[in-house]
Amino acid sequence: MATDSGSLTSSVRALAPELRRRQRADRFRTAMFLAPAALLAILFLYSPLAFIVHMSFTIGSSFLSPAGPQYTVDNYGLMLDQYLPNLLVTIQLATLAMLVDLVFGVPFAYLLVRKVRYRDVVRAVMVFPMFGALYVAFGLSFALLPGGLLDPVLRLLGIPNTALLFSLPAVVFAMSIFTFPFMVMNVGTALSNVDPTLEEAAACLGARPWQTATRVILPLTRAGIVAGALMVFGWSIGTFAEPLLLGSLNEQRSLAWTVYQNAVVENDYGIASAMGIVLLALAFVVTYFSLRYSRGALVE
Amino acid sequence: MTAMTLHRPRLKARRLTDILSHGYIWFCLVLFVLPFVALLTQSLGERGGTSGIDNYADVFGSFGDNLLWSFKISGLALLVDLAVCLPAAYALVRYPVPGKRVIFSLLQLPLYVPGAVIGLSLLMTYTFVYPIEFMWGLVLAMSVGSFPLMLTPIVVALKDLPLVFEEAAECLGATKWQAYRKIVFPLIGPGVSAGLLLCFIIVFNEYLVTLFVAPPDLETAPLRVFNLVRTNGLAPSTAALAVTMQLISFVAVLAFFRLFGTRHFKGTYIL
Amino acid sequence: MAIVHLVSVSKRYGATVAVEDFSLDIADGEFVTLLGPSGCGKTTTLRIVAGLVEPTSGRIRFDDQDVTDLPPRKRNIGFVFQTPALFPHLSVADNIGFGLSVKKARKDQIAARVDEMLTMVGLSGYGARLPAQLSGGQQQRIALARVLATDPRVLLFDEPLSALDKNLRDSLKYSILDLQRRTRKTAIYVTHDQSEAFAISDRIVVMNAGHAEQIGTQTDIYLHPQTPFVAEFIGANNGLPGKVTGTDGSGDDERSVVSAGGLTLRARPRAGVGPGDEVLVYLRPENLVVLPDGDGAGYDNVVDGTIERVIFEGPTAQLRVDVAGRELRVDVSGGRRLELIQRHGRVRLGFNDLTLIPVTAAAAPPPTS
Repeated sequence: MATDSGSLTSSVRALAPELRRRQRADRFRTAMFLAPAALLAILFLYSPLAFIVHMSFTIGSSFLSPAGPQYTVDNYGLMLDQYLPNLLVTIQLATLAMLVDLVFGVPFAYLLVRKVRYRDVVRAVMVFPMFGALYVAFGLSFALLPGGLLDPVLRLLGIPNTALLFSLPAVVFAMSIFTFPFMVMNVGTALSNVDPTLEEAAACLGARPWQTATRVILPLTRAGIVAGALMVFGWSIGTFAEPLLLGSLNEQRSLAWTVYQNAVVENDYGIASAMGIVLLALAFVVTYFSLRYSRGALVE
Repeated sequence: MTAMTLHRPRLKARRLTDILSHGYIWFCLVLFVLPFVALLTQSLGERGGTSGIDNYADVFGSFGDNLLWSFKISGLALLVDLAVCLPAAYALVRYPVPGKRVIFSLLQLPLYVPGAVIGLSLLMTYTFVYPIEFMWGLVLAMSVGSFPLMLTPIVVALKDLPLVFEEAAECLGATKWQAYRKIVFPLIGPGVSAGLLLCFIIVFNEYLVTLFVAPPDLETAPLRVFNLVRTNGLAPSTAALAVTMQLISFVAVLAFFRLFGTRHFKGTYIL
Repeated sequence: MAIVHLVSVSKRYGATVAVEDFSLDIADGEFVTLLGPSGCGKTTTLRIVAGLVEPTSGRIRFDDQDVTDLPPRKRNIGFVFQTPALFPHLSVADNIGFGLSVKKARKDQIAARVDEMLTMVGLSGYGARLPAQLSGGQQQRIALARVLATDPRVLLFDEPLSALDKNLRDSLKYSILDLQRRTRKTAIYVTHDQSEAFAISDRIVVMNAGHAEQIGTQTDIYLHPQTPFVAEFIGANNGLPGKVTGTDGSGDDERSVVSAGGLTLRARPRAGVGPGDEVLVYLRPENLVVLPDGDGAGYDNVVDGTIERVIFEGPTAQLRVDVAGRELRVDVSGGRRLELIQRHGRVRLGFNDLTLIPVTAAAAPPPTS
């Protein structure tokens, strides 16, 4: 085991640049692997978003004029003066959809995780809303027509079907069907991480089902429920087809649709951008908290 | 005897809970397919002397062009998604990336930007900043909106794949590339396919971003449906198109479930 | 096949030291085991030899070739992991042939080599199966065949038996030794299981906290532990802190007199330990003999104690004896254990072979067992 101490120290010294070279190579390789995704996100999401931030401080379609854009903060003022009801309607719709999903989604997720064995059937059926809000809204408007699928049900409940088509409840109903899977995913994931023996233990200790639910299951799945609710809210903020096809004029004031109107029909890019930014800010704030509650852990 | 009579109501209560539970699940499931069923019955219903099948005539007529566009755009967007996500997922899982969580969140964020905002920002950008050939503008818009859906299942699949397989391959003399091609890629295949399926479903049915950025001479199938709904109202022939779109998507989902099962959707929004 | 040199290898993860200045030379064809508790750095050391982990400093040489900067694939090693790590999507034959196929060997050559290896590990005819269709023991044997197929210079084993049940472990450890002897490959084997290490090694390196505590044969390590850690980690031992007070006798009969825990004990002198030195005294439980009352002839030390507890373990019985307020463990085997398990109360113990370890050697704290 005798080693020449002279050659030893020289080999240690020789190692340092080699190690540094390899670390540099590793960093370079990592950067190369991440570059395509980063480029795509930066070129086609983040810089366009930055651009409409810029745009939201210009007047109308002045970007088109040869004199160059004129800068203003009026768009945000207009947002408050004229378009506040649009913002409020959007928030109202998203909130209602979130509440409906909470009330119906949490028990659904619980039953799905704990009681259902035919889960693949449920999964297969649950992809239908995912195909898009457009089909959901379109299909529902057919169902709500006189003589439509829901007609007998409504008659049974004594609701005149003219009251539902083009109304707030119809819009919220369509929105909550569309976003239901997100709620179920978040709550279901949280629930499947809770050991079922905990419920059995609670039951053996004499807890009633209601006590088990409120004292054991809900506290352990709170993060998933909050994340799901926030995610549903975040997705609902951008609602487009549902108010358009199922809503009255009031619901049709939803922000996403107004953005389209202003940008494509009126060519008022300034106000459209300002609205987009407000919409974006709202979605980001909500998503930030939602992700903090749930999924960042995926890569750790 | 007393024991038996005591047992009876308890069993009944349990049975009642079961019936209520499964009844509730099925009630929700019926609501999920209700819009689809409404479209289906409407598209097959006879009205004003035309048979239901006539409503589908258009599917095989001019709608074919729209479908072709949709398949083309979806295919290209999926290729871009793959090229972007495979290396990114590998780096995020296998390499020590500083600020991993932040990078992952930034790459997830496109999912949460409202479609109208993506559409608006890209429309503005394509118009004023970088002119881009419009079909590619649409393809890249679809990619940026959908690639997080591909990234997540691949990340999960890679995380679930023990490092030891790659180490074993390397110790047996394989280069990194050989280890990736012969071992890693086949083993994460189902995760990659899950990502492909999710992206396909989303891109194939996307109408909102498309509404903003599609050039006038390019109408994808879902955009055609949207435009028809706006101009024609509740027409059974439009319902037939919507049914066709959903059936194509559903067949893709069922085929995947048959081939790979459902566990590869962990972390995505199919439970 | 190769002489392996580890020259002053260290590995740090930030402030944590995994391996510290570790040096070892392994002769051609030698079977060396790295033995130690979990977290002692033995697996890291092995992975450094394989190239799966880069050392922070130090060199690895195979024969005259410095392989420190080579990736694993260029080192020509055979690594057997804790899990069989068979590629689940490839057949058994494709798994065994993997190493040759990535080096672009001819198909018929690969097939011939695969058959040869399958026969060698006693699983010929299993080539077409998928790994999932084999039992755990069979999988590990295929993993062995897979590394041998590439004719590696060095075999590296990272606790290959720890995931298997006990009976399988016993038979498989001799298969491993057998294959190593037949192929005459240099082998490094990592384990935390002493009986495994004692059964198959030419030499054992006892590791603790990232460094080698002692390197030697089984008897060296068991009979002559050099540090308190080795004395306590290998086998069972009774340790008493004490102080050398003087010497007694001369020549072969010379003894150090140690005062430990209220007892005065006589031990064979140890080089470098003289009167006034603080020492740890170790007595193996099997060296403590229960004496019929009064008869202490032939023993350097005779002490009296009280039996506190008797544990019958089958082939042996363990007595816990209170001697001057300290509990000593005494292992009794043979017919006497049956008679002793009935007994309680006072007992007389005689013993000769004490190990003295100077306290300065106790740099690293011994594990709490």
